[in-house]
Amino acid sequence: MKTSADPVRDYLAAVGREASALPADRRQELLADLAEHIEVARAERPGAAIGGILAELGDPRAIVATALAEAGPGARVRSGGDAPVPRGRVHPLVPLLMLTLSLLLTMVFPDHPGPLVGVLFRITGAVLLCTSVHWTAVRKTTGVLLTAVVPSAVIGVWNLSGTGSLSDSGAFAANLVTLALLACASAWLWRVRRTRLG
Amino acid sequence: MEPGDSTKQARAAAQLRKGVLEYCVLALMRDRPRYGVELLHALGESGALATGQGTVYPLLSRLRRDDLVATTWQESASGPPRRYYALTDSGRAALDEFTRVWPGFRDAVDAFLTASPPSPGDHS
Repeated sequence: MKTSADPVRDYLAAVGREASALPADRRQELLADLAEHIEVARAERPGAAIGGILAELGDPRAIVATALAEAGPGARVRSGGDAPVPRGRVHPLVPLLMLTLSLLLTMVFPDHPGPLVGVLFRITGAVLLCTSVHWTAVRKTTGVLLTAVVPSAVIGVWNLSGTGSLSDSGAFAANLVTLALLACASAWLWRVRRTRLG
Repeated sequence: MEPGDSTKQARAAAQLRKGVLEYCVLALMRDRPRYGVELLHALGESGALATGQGTVYPLLSRLRRDDLVATTWQESASGPPRRYYALTDSGRAALDEFTRVWPGFRDAVDAFLTASPPSPGDHS
């Protein structure tokens, strides 16, 4: 226990730190109540040591835990360490945009750096989609198939079979069809995402 | 005694306290308004309901938000002004309701705790 010139201020500061998950008005109210209590207790027991009065008030963590419980789950302003908040909360648009843009980039910059960035976007988008909390496992699998696996397979087959066999306009049309598939799959994923979490 | 037993007992007491503490606090205000330190002193005297005093303030705060108690400031002859807590009409109604159901509750628990289980074959 470190000694301090002002144990009351240290105590209230500890409560304030612990109470950062409380809404500001509740936090202020709690601190005011405790400060009043200390003031009144000191006035009534002039001989008592301040350490004893603070010890009777108890552990700041226990007080704040009670305050959080009394405030109800809705009153929490930000997630504490024990809050049931899903991990890896990425906005659902991020993987969808990355997956769709991957092909668009390849189309707009066909030589450099389109293909490289496109592949990176596709991989990152697929990973983000798989780890996202916004979709069920089945929808994630469908989404990854439609937005990453199928386009990659089509492009792979395309490259292996030789690009010379089709005219530029044919290649453009094929890209457009794939892009439409990506856009539709992304739109579907966007529509079936979970909007309410927890 | 195994390690952890005292923790479990403390948890049982804490669960019980959680359920009844607010009604005990309301009951303390039945006859007259009380200020915080006074309420906590009375709870501490009781023994079983004694707890970290600070945890009662969040409870008082909720009782105030739920309009079961109302607060007023009163000057004191000694020291700072005190915030007095008084029952509202709905607070009094909640206390009356608890007062009505508690004896049946207490007796039912007592009956379970004190009953000696009938031995098999004993039909007397």
